[in-house]
Amino acid sequence: MYAVEVKNLSKSFGDLKAVNDISFNVSEGSVFGLLGRNGAGKTTTIRMMMNIYEPDKGEVLIRGVKMGQDFRNQVGYLPEERGLYKKMKVLDTILYFAELKGKRNKETEKRAQRYLEMFQLADRKNSKIEELSKGNQQKVQFILTVLHEPEFIILDEPFSGLDPVNTDLLIDLILELKNKGKIIILCTHLMDFAERMCDHIVLIDNGEKILDGALRDIKEKHSEGNIFLEYKGNISFIKDLNFVEKFEDFGNTANIKVSGNDKIQTILKLALDNNVEINKFNANDISLHEIFVSLTGYDEKSKRRMLNV
Amino acid sequence: MFNNRVLAVFKREIREKLLSKSFIIMTVLIPVFIFAIIGIQAFLMNFEGDDITSLVFISENQEIINTLRKDFSEKDDNIKADYYTLDSTPEQFIENHNKDLVSEKLTGIIYIPETSLKDKSIKYYSKNPNNIKLFKRLEGKINNILLTNYFKGIGLTAEQKEYTKKTVDFNGFRVSENNKVSEEGIGNTVIAFLFTFLLYMSLLLIGTQMMRSVVEEKSNRIVEILLSSVSSKELMMGKVLGVSATGLMQMIIWLLPVIIVTSSAVFLLPPDLILSLSPVQILFFLLNYFIGLLTYLGLFACVGSMFDNDQDAQSGVWPLMMLIMIPFFIALSMETNPNSEIAKISSMLPFASIIVMPSRLTLIEVPMWQIVLSIFVNIVTLAAVIPLAGKIYRIGILITGRKPKWGEIAKWIRA
Repeated sequence: MYAVEVKNLSKSFGDLKAVNDISFNVSEGSVFGLLGRNGAGKTTTIRMMMNIYEPDKGEVLIRGVKMGQDFRNQVGYLPEERGLYKKMKVLDTILYFAELKGKRNKETEKRAQRYLEMFQLADRKNSKIEELSKGNQQKVQFILTVLHEPEFIILDEPFSGLDPVNTDLLIDLILELKNKGKIIILCTHLMDFAERMCDHIVLIDNGEKILDGALRDIKEKHSEGNIFLEYKGNISFIKDLNFVEKFEDFGNTANIKVSGNDKIQTILKLALDNNVEINKFNANDISLHEIFVSLTGYDEKSKRRMLNV
Repeated sequence: MFNNRVLAVFKREIREKLLSKSFIIMTVLIPVFIFAIIGIQAFLMNFEGDDITSLVFISENQEIINTLRKDFSEKDDNIKADYYTLDSTPEQFIENHNKDLVSEKLTGIIYIPETSLKDKSIKYYSKNPNNIKLFKRLEGKINNILLTNYFKGIGLTAEQKEYTKKTVDFNGFRVSENNKVSEEGIGNTVIAFLFTFLLYMSLLLIGTQMMRSVVEEKSNRIVEILLSSVSSKELMMGKVLGVSATGLMQMIIWLLPVIIVTSSAVFLLPPDLILSLSPVQILFFLLNYFIGLLTYLGLFACVGSMFDNDQDAQSGVWPLMMLIMIPFFIALSMETNPNSEIAKISSMLPFASIIVMPSRLTLIEVPMWQIVLSIFVNIVTLAAVIPLAGKIYRIGILITGRKPKWGEIAKWIRA
C-alpha cells in the first residue's frame, strides 16, 4: 500500500484544464518530487490533495483511505505564495497554526522554542511578523509547517527567497525528517534541488503527467548516449556528424547526445584529434535539468516562431 | 460543527479584536460621536443666528404700545423693536415702510388692532410671513398683554391672573397591554435614536473590519495555509462567530449605562427623561443585534472573499451598505412618525427588521406576535444567508488577480 495514491485527478477553471487526469503514488518514507514549469498544474494538484479545491474528477487515498480531516491534521503544508498575519507575534503565529491542527500543549511550546533557536529566531519571538525580514518570515513559515509533527509534509517551492546558508539548513532539516520516516512531497521547478533530494519524481506539463518514476531509473534511461563536456577550443564540427542527435554548445560546456553508446568514444577521439582541450567528459550522464528542458521546453518550431514575433 | 478548529479561529478573532487599539477607540468614540450628532442636531434646530430681528409694533391703542414697550425693552437681545401708536390707517403705515420690509431691513410689522382686545387676532406683515418660530416666541407675551388688558377692570387675584395666563400642557402617557400606565418623556425618543445609531454605526464599522480581515487573509495568501488545516466553512464560522461575540460585548459595554439607569431606582431622572424600557426589551435588543451581526458579517465576509484588495472591496460593497442604510433611514423617520406603515412593515422584513424593530419597540407598543415574527424572520434570513455566503466565500477566497463577474458568482452559488 502506498502512503498517498492520487487517482485520475482533474480540475478545470472555465475553459482552462488546469489538471487533466493525473495519477501517481507516493511511497512511505520517501522524498517525492512533483515537478513542472510555472503554471503546469502543480499547485492545483496539491490543492486538490489537501481538499482546498474539490476535484472535478478523481480521488486521493491516504494509506488506502479516502482523504479527510484526519489527513489535514497530519499534514504540514508550505504553500508557494506565503503570507502570515502581519500584526501577529512570531510565537503566537506558530502556536496558532499548531492549534488549528489540534496541537496546543506545553510540549508544542517547547518544540516551538527549539525550532526558533535552531533558526536563530529565539530573540524575535515577540516581534510582530511585519518587523521580520523576508527570509526570517519564511523560516517562521517553515516552523509552523512542521511544528505539529506531521506525517506528511508538502513543500511548494520551499527554497525561493532563502540565502545559501538557510537553504542548506532547510535541506538538512528535510532530510532529517525523511530519516524519521516522514513522507515529503517537494514541489519545485528547481531541478538541482529535486535531483539532490528526490527518490521519485513526477513531471507534469500543461496539466498532464509526462514523466513518472524513480529518479535513478529516469536518469539511467535518459542518459544513454548522453555526454556532458567541459572544454576549450572549437567543437563546432560535432554538429555535422551524422550520429549526433542533439548538440547544445554553451561555449565552455556542451551537452551532446549520440545515437549509440559505441559512438561516445568516437566523440572523445574526434575532439582530441581536433586539438580541443578536454577538462571534463561525463559519459552516460544527464542532469535532471536537461531532462526537464528536453521534455517541457519549446520545440525548435515554436522557438523559431517566438523569435520571429 | 463547532469543533476545536472553529474554536481556535474564534479565539484568535476575539483576542485580536478585544486587545486591539481600534476596539478601545471605537468603544469610546462611537458614543461620543453619537452624542455629538444629537447635540449638533439640537443645536441646528434651535439655532437663531446672530441676525437681529427688527420688528415694528403698531396699534391704535396707546396703552398696548406702552405695555409692549415695557415688556420687551428689558429682555430680548435678538429682537430690536420699535413702537408706534397709529395716527393713520395700518395700510398706510405698511405702505410707508414697504421699502424697508422688502429689503429686509425691517423683518416685520406686527399690527395689534383695537379689535384684538376682543378676538385676539393680530396681523403680521413681512416678506416671509410664515415665521412660525417668531410667532411661538411672541404669542405668549402678546397673549399676556391682551389678557392683562382684558381683565383690567375685574379685580383678579395674582393667583387667578397666573392661571389665566397659563397655556395647556400636554403630558403623554404610554398605555400598554398589562394595564400599566406610565408617563412618557422624551427619554425613549433619545433611546430609540441611540439604538438606531449604535446599530447602524457598529454594523457598518464591524462589517467593514470583517471585510478587510478577509481581504487581508486572501491577499496575503494566509488563507492557503489556513485551508490546509480547516475547511472554508469552519474558517468562516470561526471568524463570524468571533467577531460577532466581540461586537456583542462592545454593545453590552455601550448599553451598560442604559441598563443601570433603567434597572435601578437610584437614579431619579427628571420625568421628561424617564425611560420605559424593560429588561426584556434590552435582551431582545441584544439578541436581535447578535443575529444581525451574524447575518451581516456573513455577507461582509462573502463580499471580502470576492476581492483581493481593499479598494475593489470598498467599491463592491455598496449593495450591502444599502441593506443597512435604507432601514437606518426608515428607523430615523420613526422619530417623528412612529406609527408609519413603512416602519411597521419593514420591522418584519428580512435585514431591515434588525435595524427598524428595536427603535420601533422603544417608541411604541408593538404587539407580541410582531416581535416574535421579526425574530423568526431574522433567524430564517440568517439560516438562508450563511450557506449562500459560505459557497461564495469557499471559492472566492482562492481566486486572486482579477475581479469576479456577477455571472461567475452565480455559478459558484449553484456549484
